[in-house]
Amino acid sequence: MSGWLDGNFVSVIDGVAFGLLLFTIAVGLSLVFGMMDVLNLAHGTLYLAGAYVAYALSDGTLWGLLLALLAGALVGTMGGAALTFLTQPLARRGHLDQAVLTLGITFIVADLLAAAFGGDVLPTDPPTALRGTVDLLGHAYPVYRLVFIGVAAGLALLVYLVFERSSLGALVRATVADRDMVRALGVDIRKVLYGVFAAGAALASVGGVLGAPILGPGPGVDETVLVLSLVVVVVGGLGSVRGALAGALLIGQVQTLGVALLPEYAPFLLFGTMLLVLVVRPHGLVPSAVRA
Amino acid sequence: MAGRFRPVGLVAASTALLLTTACGGASLGTGEDKQSGPVKIGLLVPQSGTYKALGDDMKQGFELYVAQHGGKLGGREVEIVVADEGETADSGKAAAEKLVKQDRVLAVSGVVSSATINGVKDLFETGKVPLVGSNASPTTLTGTKYIWRTSYVNDEPGKALGKHVAEQAGGPVFVIAAGYQAGKDEVEGFKSTFLPAGGKMAGEEVYTPFPGTKNFQPYLAQIEKSGAKAVFSFYAGGAAVDFVKQYRDFGLAGKIPLYAPGFLTEGGVLKGQGEAANGILTALNYSADLDNAANKQFAPAYTAAYGSAPTTYAMASWDAAQVLDKAIKAAGSTVTSESVNAAIAQVGDIDSPRGTWRFNSGGTPVQPWYLREVKQGVNTVSSELGRLGG
Repeated sequence: MSGWLDGNFVSVIDGVAFGLLLFTIAVGLSLVFGMMDVLNLAHGTLYLAGAYVAYALSDGTLWGLLLALLAGALVGTMGGAALTFLTQPLARRGHLDQAVLTLGITFIVADLLAAAFGGDVLPTDPPTALRGTVDLLGHAYPVYRLVFIGVAAGLALLVYLVFERSSLGALVRATVADRDMVRALGVDIRKVLYGVFAAGAALASVGGVLGAPILGPGPGVDETVLVLSLVVVVVGGLGSVRGALAGALLIGQVQTLGVALLPEYAPFLLFGTMLLVLVVRPHGLVPSAVRA
Repeated sequence: MAGRFRPVGLVAASTALLLTTACGGASLGTGEDKQSGPVKIGLLVPQSGTYKALGDDMKQGFELYVAQHGGKLGGREVEIVVADEGETADSGKAAAEKLVKQDRVLAVSGVVSSATINGVKDLFETGKVPLVGSNASPTTLTGTKYIWRTSYVNDEPGKALGKHVAEQAGGPVFVIAAGYQAGKDEVEGFKSTFLPAGGKMAGEEVYTPFPGTKNFQPYLAQIEKSGAKAVFSFYAGGAAVDFVKQYRDFGLAGKIPLYAPGFLTEGGVLKGQGEAANGILTALNYSADLDNAANKQFAPAYTAAYGSAPTTYAMASWDAAQVLDKAIKAAGSTVTSESVNAAIAQVGDIDSPRGTWRFNSGGTPVQPWYLREVKQGVNTVSSELGRLGG
């Protein structure tokens, strides 16, 4: 292979892996905020909870990973339902109150997790079968990250089909566009809200289980994940699955290929990209058709 | 329904909120210095946040020494007042103010972060209360009369390693570090002994954004491309775990030797790294397997009490208690903050688990440094790198 691509080939692939991880996490934040109008700053905590579940349940087998995925989905669903319940009374009081409440929850949960798991970073290893590296055109690349790309791409497709191509998704989008009309049709709006929130939260926790070998559990990871998710949501456009995917893949490449090509600008690349996108497209790359 | 979104403002507000951290601390009554009653010693260590693990090590090391000496320092009963340093200079400063002004402690030990020690410098200097710090020691902290460190100056682990790496690498060395003050100190320390010894760098040194970097792949690709024969790196805490594991995941471990200041494999992070850490070579002033009389008194007792091998952080805190023990005894009948501080200056040789050391004129140790290698998940001493601090 020719020089440029050969030298940066692994970075491009890894950008896809990192981008898909960001998508799995950020899409829930984007949908809950963009569609349900709830700003959930506890989103990074849902990821962290999933990552700790992966740490607790991973025993080196594929079954352990599967069990962790189920448990992570359950934890996320329950966390999402609890957050809906807690943020509901603030629905009319605007985003600042929601931000303060959910941020307070992150501090409390973070301290509880630190008390339970300690202050150290406890990264998980992938199942034995998925360890090691494969040869990608002469470069070593971790097997697990390749598998992750496949699984996360499947998740992204599923989320897209459900939200943008199914009747369930149509109901959600209708609820966002005109609550009163949907209510008049006899649909319990609150169920839709709980459903979207729980699904978004479950995705974040599942992202935590799958992402644990890449972004392992430990104090501070919740904040890192939250900041990255907010950047993805802002860059991609609120409330759209395709926007979250576009934003995540772009940020993934910025964080790998961009850093590989311009290491001296690494600290500014992330926010520089965000600034650039907002100047050119103030509503993000693919803003939600319903809300825009 | 809701009007316009203002994502930029929201992100800015959220980021600002994330940067604020709560602080708290234990509170006990106040009291004047009594010549016969117990002495109060403040322990300023993180009880929450990112540095909690280090804070725990330091607290345990200090408490172990006191417990091993019948709850006494210098023949006086000790009352330990713990205050939470938290994560930031602000939370650390608030906790230090409480110890000095409200609890009126005789002396303080602890302090994990360099930002905190810079922030509380004036408090101890003007309050004339000795701070026997057991970790943070930035290169910029000079000219103090009341601030001592039983650890080392931030650039010394790098300094200790420079000549050795220059001799062993057999080619250019790639230098990569976390992009904050401690990382820059270590790299400067390393270069100050590495370059004069004939070492060659593989390109410019690289600083990775701190604390944001979680994915090291792009940097590891650079290392591979550079043709380096060895790597010198500085990471601690969570970043140390991520870096070491990804160094293995992307196939560099075993191919390019990895050298680092000891934090890369010290304490909790080593557990997190698992077998990915095997073969990593680090420089530090301590290793739990050192063979000397003081360490035989310290290491097994520490492991028995807390269930894990002692770290350099725990050892430095044990020594801080030892320094206070000797100084309070030497201060004799007039135990005040000022008399104890004067006694610390005269304390002389400390018989420590790291080997014998003494304070230099800057208030930091003149001490031996060791080269360690991780073997089967444990740091083991392979040779002595000489003394620094003189």
